[in-house]
Amino acid sequence: MKKLFTQITFVSLLTMTLFACTKTSDTTVVNNTPVTATVKDLVADTVLGVDPKTGPYSAGKYTYYSIENNAIVSSADSATTKWDLAFLSTKILTNGGTSGSGKGGAFIYKGLFDDIKTIAPDSVFKTDAAPVYAITTGSDKGWYHYDGQTNLITPIAGRVLVIKTASGKYAKLEILSYYKGGVTLSPTASDADKLTKQRYYTFRFTYQPNGTTTF
Amino acid sequence: MGKHILILLFFGPLITFGQRVMVVKDTLASDGDSVVVTATRSERKLSNITVPVTIINAKMIQQNGALRLTDILKEQTGLTMTSGFGAGVQLQGLNPDYTIILINGEPLVGRTAGVLDLNRIALGNIKKIEIVKGPSSSLYGSEAMAGVINIITDASTSIPLQASLRYGTYNTLDASINNTLVSKRLFYQGFYNYYNTDGYSIRPNSNNRVTTPITRLTTSQQFKYNLTENTNLVFNTRLTDEKIISNIAVSNGGVTIYSNGKEHNTDVNLTGSLNHRFSNDLKTSFRSYLTNYVSNQDLLTLSGAPYTDLLNHLFQRVENQTDWTVSKKITGIFGAGAVWEGVKSSRYDSEKVRKNNTIQYGFTQWEWTPLEKFIVIGGVRFDQNASYASAWSPKLSMLYKLNPQHKIKLSIGQGFKAPDFRQLYLDFTNAAAGNYSVFGSAEAQKVIGQLNSLGQIGTLYSNYYLLKSLQPESSTGIHLSWDWEPNPKTFISVQAFRNDIKNLIQVQQVGAYTSGAQIFSYLNIGRAYTQGLELETKYQWNSDWSLSGGYQFILTGDKDEITQIKAGTVYTRDANGVSSRLSLSDYVGLPNISKHKAQFKINYVTKDGYFANTRFVYRSKWAVNNTDGNQVYDTGDSFAAGYLSLYSSVGKNYSNGLSLQVGCDNMTNYVDANNLSNLPGRTFYFSIKYQIINKK
Repeated sequence: MKKLFTQITFVSLLTMTLFACTKTSDTTVVNNTPVTATVKDLVADTVLGVDPKTGPYSAGKYTYYSIENNAIVSSADSATTKWDLAFLSTKILTNGGTSGSGKGGAFIYKGLFDDIKTIAPDSVFKTDAAPVYAITTGSDKGWYHYDGQTNLITPIAGRVLVIKTASGKYAKLEILSYYKGGVTLSPTASDADKLTKQRYYTFRFTYQPNGTTTF
Repeated sequence: MGKHILILLFFGPLITFGQRVMVVKDTLASDGDSVVVTATRSERKLSNITVPVTIINAKMIQQNGALRLTDILKEQTGLTMTSGFGAGVQLQGLNPDYTIILINGEPLVGRTAGVLDLNRIALGNIKKIEIVKGPSSSLYGSEAMAGVINIITDASTSIPLQASLRYGTYNTLDASINNTLVSKRLFYQGFYNYYNTDGYSIRPNSNNRVTTPITRLTTSQQFKYNLTENTNLVFNTRLTDEKIISNIAVSNGGVTIYSNGKEHNTDVNLTGSLNHRFSNDLKTSFRSYLTNYVSNQDLLTLSGAPYTDLLNHLFQRVENQTDWTVSKKITGIFGAGAVWEGVKSSRYDSEKVRKNNTIQYGFTQWEWTPLEKFIVIGGVRFDQNASYASAWSPKLSMLYKLNPQHKIKLSIGQGFKAPDFRQLYLDFTNAAAGNYSVFGSAEAQKVIGQLNSLGQIGTLYSNYYLLKSLQPESSTGIHLSWDWEPNPKTFISVQAFRNDIKNLIQVQQVGAYTSGAQIFSYLNIGRAYTQGLELETKYQWNSDWSLSGGYQFILTGDKDEITQIKAGTVYTRDANGVSSRLSLSDYVGLPNISKHKAQFKINYVTKDGYFANTRFVYRSKWAVNNTDGNQVYDTGDSFAAGYLSLYSSVGKNYSNGLSLQVGCDNMTNYVDANNLSNLPGRTFYFSIKYQIINKK
């Protein structure tokens, strides 16, 4: 039994090493090629229910995400530099300043995703300094608009989040939707849908692994 | 006891004078309908009017089966009814805020969010409604920016006593009594109206009524007493009392709060005037007017928490107007007046303190007829205000009769709308939705300054430092029209218009609390335009059949938004959420405006009193919600669907004074619960009218 376990461990270690090798060799080849990806329905503290007195409630937990690895990071690693962005409802943290131990930061670019070929040299990356964040919170201040009549949150068109990752590399990111399935709900959707289908991020990003500001 | 007194007040004059009814012929010219007073503040023949005017007469009101002002206005070219805060009217693309509503030349007050609910006005004793399009502040001052709607009550009825009753779907009952007394010196007319409806719900699976149960009482009394042949005294009163039973459900963040309660609105108008004719060429009139609109909402939420909302608007005015005919070619009017106005509201800092404003104004208008076929009218008005900057409003208009078939009119005028009390004094924090606050501009800096010294303010925006006393919103309008009567049976009118509006007052965020909740106030920042074409036609097929139709095409835009779109700094998002630059061709302009609106009427009237008509009203789609988050309305946003509604009525007027009518409104049963809460589904009605004492 013990032997079997060791064997499995060995095999997995071997596989990991092999993969790691492949990956390393891969990265060396494509190191200068930016990685573009779309993340769908990233859960960001979804609503668990509605309290008849206090209203909707949720667990209040961030979802940590690594732009560098294009993967969710366990919340056990929240104190590390393994993550680049953390999502909780409309709030997005970068791994730096008061939010984390990394070199992370961000600024909001007004314009189109494709317009950013190179981050302008005079750009100023902000770092999180709670309660003020690099990605400004609040309707019409950061990345979204909240309509008080329809209770819908829509990403503001022409806003790109320019991100500095925990390790100090650069990415550009456009939020496409805040609702499950990547489609903003219709203003006439039911209240139940508006509550349960929100806090699902769909976004696309381009990450430059070589540390330069050119995509 | 109180109720008995009320009944006595209502019917007293009827009982006391009812016995000695005398019959006198209509005092106005028999073609009274073609006399227009609103366009020049003096009686003029329609054929000599230099500005675009629409006249709706009592016959049309009866044939259409219209009960409230909204019913008849929705079928007029260039007018669109809006829903939200009651039924307002949008005139040539401008919001209800910008059209002044007059009854016999005196303004109605009591607007909620700029909207005056036109359902307040019963049509039972209306002689005609005059609609003047284009800025008319040169005669009427503030609010006459898009135009003027003047409701003229019947002061010349030859019907001594008439009763009418109408009953229809949703238990809608409307009962009226009109009576008139005429002696050599005294003219008296009374009107009493009772209206009640159960309201209706057009939302499926909901007991939420879109229109809640309403009971309205309206009475108006007109007295005219001839002191001498050349001097008379006129005294008019009007009272509307409205009780609304509310069952409102407010949803916020998934929590629905049901409020039950009542709303009580009263509207009192008192007018007194002394008119004297010095000679055929010179007459003068002193008028004093008082109106008070009181609205009380007394709601109780299911949790038991009371919610009350009070609005009390008092408006008093004295005015003199003198009309002088200098020669056959030159006539002039001049006038001056003063207004004392005050509002108490629970949405201001204290509902016990009345916020006041005073206005002094003077105006003059001169009409020059150098040739029989050419008329030029020029006028100007100056308004001096205590609470906001003063305003000059000039206007120039002219009419050229090419020949008996063709007429051309051109008018250029300036209109303004004073900042209203809400924009100056609002002090409102919405505890139900995120605790955001809105402060009127007159008090914003003071209130925010105090909050700041208490450490409650998180950030102040640059907008905060721009807060200053508001300027009136103003517009410049140009109207060019061409009337053509190819033969006595046919009438065609084409009109082009353009309004340029500046200093629009808009709600802007000026800061935030330490909690992050937003703070708003009002600033003069917007610039917009509306422009379009209107077409009106009438065709008398034969003695019985006639056709009429109207069409409006309108384009609107916010000038600052257009500048930004041209600069390439406005973006939109596609179905996948990907942003792109908005092109000007995808810009739709101002919200709630339909590019196309049309109506068509087939009318049948016989000599022996039968009448029947069918009316079609069409409105194309309009933008309602900004769904792509760019704050600009474009083709990617959400629209209310265009629709066609159909109305019909049939009736007979008997020679003994009896009239019967049946009708059906919204025959195709078109409903849109989200965007057209003022349009109920299909409704039927039956009405009977009888001249208890008639002139025969």
